[in-house]
Amino acid sequence: MLSFKVMYCQCICLCILQFSMSMEDYDYLFKIVLIGNAGVGKTCLVRRFTQGLFPPGQGATIGVDFMIKTVEIKGEKVKLQIWDTAGQERFRSITQSYYRSANALILTYDITCEDSFRCLPEWLREIEQYANNQVVTILVGNKIDLAEKREVVRQRAEDFAQSQSMLYLETSAKESDNVEKLFLDLACELIREAKQNKLDNNDTAPMPGEGKAISYLSCCSVV
Amino acid sequence: MAAEDLPSEFDVVILGTGLAESVAAAAFSRVGQRVLHVDRRSYYAANWASFTFNGLLNWIQQYHVNELQDWSSLLEDGEEVIYLSNPDTASIKNLQVFCFTSEEDEKEEEASSSTPTNAAEDHNINADEEAVKESSETESAGNTVTNLLVAIDCIISEHSILYNPCNSPENVPDTARVSKTGSYFYLRLMYSRGSLVDLLIKSNVSRYAEFKNVTRILTYRQGKVEQVPCSRADVFASRQLSVVEKRKLMRFLTSCMEETEEQMAYHGRPYSEFLRDQQLGDNLEHFILHSIAMVTEHTLTEEGLASTRNFLQCLGRYGNTPFLFPVYGLGEIPQCFCRMCAVFGGIYCLRHSVSCLLVDKDTNRCKAVIDSRGQRISCSHFVVEEGYVGPERKRVATPPRFISRAVLITDSSVLSSNSDQQVSLVTIPPIAAGCAAVRMVELSSSTMTCMPGTYLVHLTCQSSGSAYEDLSPLVSRIFCTPDSPDQGNTQNCPSVLWCLYFNITDGSGLETEGHDLPSNVYMCSGPDGGLSHENAIKQAEAIFSKILPDEDFCPPAPNPEDIIYDGDATASAEGEDKEGEDKEGEKENQDKLEEAVLTEETVQTATATSTLPSG
Repeated sequence: MLSFKVMYCQCICLCILQFSMSMEDYDYLFKIVLIGNAGVGKTCLVRRFTQGLFPPGQGATIGVDFMIKTVEIKGEKVKLQIWDTAGQERFRSITQSYYRSANALILTYDITCEDSFRCLPEWLREIEQYANNQVVTILVGNKIDLAEKREVVRQRAEDFAQSQSMLYLETSAKESDNVEKLFLDLACELIREAKQNKLDNNDTAPMPGEGKAISYLSCCSVV
Repeated sequence: MAAEDLPSEFDVVILGTGLAESVAAAAFSRVGQRVLHVDRRSYYAANWASFTFNGLLNWIQQYHVNELQDWSSLLEDGEEVIYLSNPDTASIKNLQVFCFTSEEDEKEEEASSSTPTNAAEDHNINADEEAVKESSETESAGNTVTNLLVAIDCIISEHSILYNPCNSPENVPDTARVSKTGSYFYLRLMYSRGSLVDLLIKSNVSRYAEFKNVTRILTYRQGKVEQVPCSRADVFASRQLSVVEKRKLMRFLTSCMEETEEQMAYHGRPYSEFLRDQQLGDNLEHFILHSIAMVTEHTLTEEGLASTRNFLQCLGRYGNTPFLFPVYGLGEIPQCFCRMCAVFGGIYCLRHSVSCLLVDKDTNRCKAVIDSRGQRISCSHFVVEEGYVGPERKRVATPPRFISRAVLITDSSVLSSNSDQQVSLVTIPPIAAGCAAVRMVELSSSTMTCMPGTYLVHLTCQSSGSAYEDLSPLVSRIFCTPDSPDQGNTQNCPSVLWCLYFNITDGSGLETEGHDLPSNVYMCSGPDGGLSHENAIKQAEAIFSKILPDEDFCPPAPNPEDIIYDGDATASAEGEDKEGEDKEGEKENQDKLEEAVLTEETVQTATATSTLPSG
């Protein structure tokens, strides 16, 4: 009889502990995932945003799963967890689980590389297949500092983004152009959606008494 | 597809992305080994994979046969070649698909129009078969594809009905959502104190996945599905147990936790006998034997007690039952380990294989591999999924063991309750002498494996015949199918919308020793018939400690928030600059926010959930 009691107490304590911990340091936590061909500057964008660095030191990316930056938007603390591909995009072998539970996707191409733009539909197929259908997707044309080598005109990318109902932005991780804006726009959009969902009182929310999501990220699943 | 060539030297080359291989990959990469991990398939997790319907289609299409190419020109002196084979053709057979939905309402018509599509094909062929056979194989695979297409059409139309109540013709079925309907190939659960959960927590791989508790354990008995009370709360809440039974059960479960002399006396005798002598009554005996210990009539007392204890110890760690199920299916778990491997520098390449090994004749060690594009890649160690190794080189149990599997999509739960989001494990004792016990798992849409309003059901047992022979009698009893014996009484039982039967090689049939392979080549088996993942984790750990006896197996990955970066000196120099931008960015966004904020109410994002790492 004793062992039963002990197990129960343990379980409940852990829940409470977790609850109070996750309440502390932010109002929102969003998972943002970067995708796009190898070499378009995904890692540079993340490191420019989270650390203000360019070019990023090479060795440091080993062992780094995601980067975190907490920003304050209108008095609310928003923690952004930004995930990079870990090189799996090189041979088109990104794990499906990478896309799961992402709140936003940053689909990146290189404006000086036609090929990286032409691969976008392929990436969109992956998104459609594996990502949550409420995910916010933004198309980013990176490397605008290399304007003289531009291969993809802005209008074309804008049209494409519009046809796929994505947001569009051109950035330079090197010059830090639009990098802050990219992540903050996303954060605003995600907050807006979260509040909208709250208002709609989403009936998709799990019913009490059923299996609870037990997850590292479950505290942020506002979507 | 790959734009560049692979590096030509690695410490470990791993072929196959099943659970054991993926865990090994993560472990090697984590301690700094250079890992190349490839799989000839276009998806991760090999025979552990979870599929969407489209994925299922592709899976069938990929039954193409290995063409043997001659790479002998790449040989160096003193080397010989070992060719590898196609894993899928050897491990899956007797695939059959049935679809029981159609636009018509009449049951009869349905039954005849969707007569068991004779998709039964034996995919069990060897890579070295003649071209004639290859062509017939391709043809039969073609048939299966059309049959599956039929099935998929049916499901889509089914859902268009579900989703568009008005059902007007211009309402296009929501294919994007339908395609997410999962079909999970290999199903098993995770014991919350099992080695897999412990490893997930220890290595921090748990951050990549979400889990749900199995919410109830059911059993099939005397033609009825009943709930098994297994936790203290369940026992007290149970309506089917009398007060006396409740007391007896609690006393038994409590006494089980410690080894007593009475228990010792039963060593070597069947557990069922021990239970009978405890005077528990039929009800409780059944619950304990089949649903808590999950053993057979003939299991010995010590084993029975051990599994009962294991069950009780896992209870309450994360919820009411000892089991966890990964959201999106089990195929996620190997992928999580692959991600860990990649994060630590492992290189991943799907749709890429190793066609042969180059073995040094003198040392009997594999010096290099030739990949499917003819590149020579040297490696110190080679880990391979069992299926890639030809039958003449490995030692397996005879006769070969198979598992029978059925995957069903149904329209309601086998035991309805106040919540339609139950995740249930159903234990089904042998329905007739000579049959195997069947384990059934029913997943609701909350596990993200099926559409709202439908349930995904998996049945598993040790094969005695084909999967259809083993499992369809049970399916027609519990569910309503055109073959159900009792057509009058079909109101209460769930209807099967679609089902798939197949046999898969039982991983436990692979011997641990005695394979005809070079000394630095290690083999991992596929999934076995058990409920836990112990076997795969053990294999990975054994391979790891054989190669790197002094290294830690999957030490915790650093928390991204604690990492100190090399370039931090530069970061602080640019820090001020960055802060300025920060503010600018925020200002820019003020306007946006003005319109975006609909209410001042802050959204409480945190919910009372526990996380795996808290264990």
